[in-house]
Amino acid sequence: MSDSSAPKTAPARRKLSAGPLSTGDKWFFRSTSVAAYSAFVLVAFILLFLFLQAAPAITSQGISFITGSTWDNTAEPIVMQIGPMIWGSILIGAVGVVIATPLAIALAYLIVYMLPNRLASLATNLVDLLAALPSVIIGLWGLFVFSPVAAEWGAALNAYLGWFPLFNVSSADNGFSGSPFIAGWIVAIMIVPIITSITREVFSQLDRDLINGALALGGSRLSTLRRVILPTSSGAIVGGVLLGLGRALGETVAIFYVLQLTFDFNWGQILEPKGGAVASMILAKFGEANASEVSGLMASGLVLFVITLIINFFASVIVNRAQPWRKN
Amino acid sequence: MSFAPRPAVQPWARVNKSRRAEILFASIMPSAIALALIAFGLDRNLTLVGVFLPIQVLAASVVGYRAFGRRGIGDAALLVIVFFLASFVLVLLASVVTSLVTQGSKALSWSFVTQNNIYVSNTTSLDYGGVGHAIVGTLMIVGLTTLVTVPLGIAMAVYLTQSQSKIKNLVRTLTQAISGLPSVVAGLFVLSMVLTFGWEKSGVMGSMALLPLMLPTVARVAEEALRLVPVDLRYAALALGAPNYRAFFQVILPAAKSGIITAMLLGVARIIGETAPLLLTVPINNGTSWNIFSGNIMTLPAYIYGYLSSLFSTSQNRAWGGAIVLMIIVAILFTTTRILSRPKSMKSKPTKQKASK
Repeated sequence: MSDSSAPKTAPARRKLSAGPLSTGDKWFFRSTSVAAYSAFVLVAFILLFLFLQAAPAITSQGISFITGSTWDNTAEPIVMQIGPMIWGSILIGAVGVVIATPLAIALAYLIVYMLPNRLASLATNLVDLLAALPSVIIGLWGLFVFSPVAAEWGAALNAYLGWFPLFNVSSADNGFSGSPFIAGWIVAIMIVPIITSITREVFSQLDRDLINGALALGGSRLSTLRRVILPTSSGAIVGGVLLGLGRALGETVAIFYVLQLTFDFNWGQILEPKGGAVASMILAKFGEANASEVSGLMASGLVLFVITLIINFFASVIVNRAQPWRKN
Repeated sequence: MSFAPRPAVQPWARVNKSRRAEILFASIMPSAIALALIAFGLDRNLTLVGVFLPIQVLAASVVGYRAFGRRGIGDAALLVIVFFLASFVLVLLASVVTSLVTQGSKALSWSFVTQNNIYVSNTTSLDYGGVGHAIVGTLMIVGLTTLVTVPLGIAMAVYLTQSQSKIKNLVRTLTQAISGLPSVVAGLFVLSMVLTFGWEKSGVMGSMALLPLMLPTVARVAEEALRLVPVDLRYAALALGAPNYRAFFQVILPAAKSGIITAMLLGVARIIGETAPLLLTVPINNGTSWNIFSGNIMTLPAYIYGYLSSLFSTSQNRAWGGAIVLMIIVAILFTTTRILSRPKSMKSKPTKQKASK
């Protein structure tokens, strides 16, 4: 910049009318900083107020709040334990992630490496449209349209792969509805767009020379995917999957009507209508909760918030680290 | 096997006619077999996974082997599986949209959009009652959230693009982490404030509960929009003696206008269907209310949620009708963002082609 033109005669020194220290700028930067710090304030407030309201339940229930499996509001003193719900959330999230990850990677691969530009942008728009579907609509569709079909899938899985503990059920009387399997599918539909968008971005930012080099060395599409594309983008994919998991754990209304809530640990029989999810449980109990139950629900919310915040935070760190072009 | 002479591989060779016929046969034959089996009464799920997919992979692999040798096998299998998984997602999306349209159109009418839900029971005909009150409530609550969140989100984006602070990356990471905030927790958060301070549940509380859900979306998209503005523009403005805030308001913001509007619309689309926070913080209402500062007020998601579990078919139709109204609003927002965020080079392409001719 400085070598563009050498000054012939030094111009008269002018007083700078503006600088980083002018009053307007001070206030401008101060207000943007305040806005940015509102993220911290928000998290602190959520923790603080949830804790204030959850304190009675936490002190009365102790550690068994997250390990026990009884919820009895008629007992004296009241018993509130949400162990099966926490485990159920994790189970549903795991099922959702297992289903969603291959779908998302296939979509991203298709969009970035196989489709011509016009179709690729159409596919991207469709995936974004899937992301834009409100969860209550997914819940409506899940209850009336998807749940019967998924119950069929569950029955087929049980019939042909029932010897595998994961697909075992104690009895087939319930028609395979209300299971974590179905809820996992619905959650998967909701997190496919998240994983796809992150995977797609990292695929499209991949060094084309690497891929062309692999192809020039005689690699096929498959070997290029396995040896070049996936290893170089695995970090971002893991981050995206974690972000999806965080979203899956917090999903409420979409799975509320298709999931059977029972205060019973479901240790991995995903076709059995047993277990539940924290978020759905909060919504289900909220309607007729008395004061001490509301405190228990606040404590459940606090647990859910802490879990999802930790997962999301690590996911964001991984994603940001895997996308260096995003930093300036 | 590995000593067998390789077939001559010519990746650059054009696909000849007989090869084309092979490809056509390999892509039609498995679907034909599967359709025939389904027509004969075999279970469709079993046919799809147990018959169609293996035959399709096999057929594609054979064609791949004949065209490219052994490396063609894996490629063909990859091709088939990627297409299968991707079209699976497409089928799910299509299922959502078609069921919305077919079920929702039963209830949808002008009176359904304009009337409210007073004097409507489970057996009232669909000619009476509607979602007018819920549309009003949703628009007011979401509007209030937007009024607060958009300036906040833009300010956050300015900080993220212009600040040299060391904790900038932490702010960005935390914002991204908040974007995964479970919506029910957002509702519980505001509810806990209501209980702590003895406030009254109302539309404003719903707006507050939606704020943490909307803020990360607005901040992230606005940051990307601001980042697209060439930094030279800002430097030029500063070099001309403009203070930073005028450089922002008069140079950067106008240049990033469409991106900022996109951020706003995406934020609105993110929260307009949020149900759980509103269920926890906004008391529902069957009549139309124009007051979000006190009293009961209805929202579209709460309306759908309320009718969703009903056993009466007219009530279920009302739920679908509410859902399609919500979906139309989301679709309008979505299409607008796509039009706005279309890269400018696409608009100027025709003139370029003319110039080159």
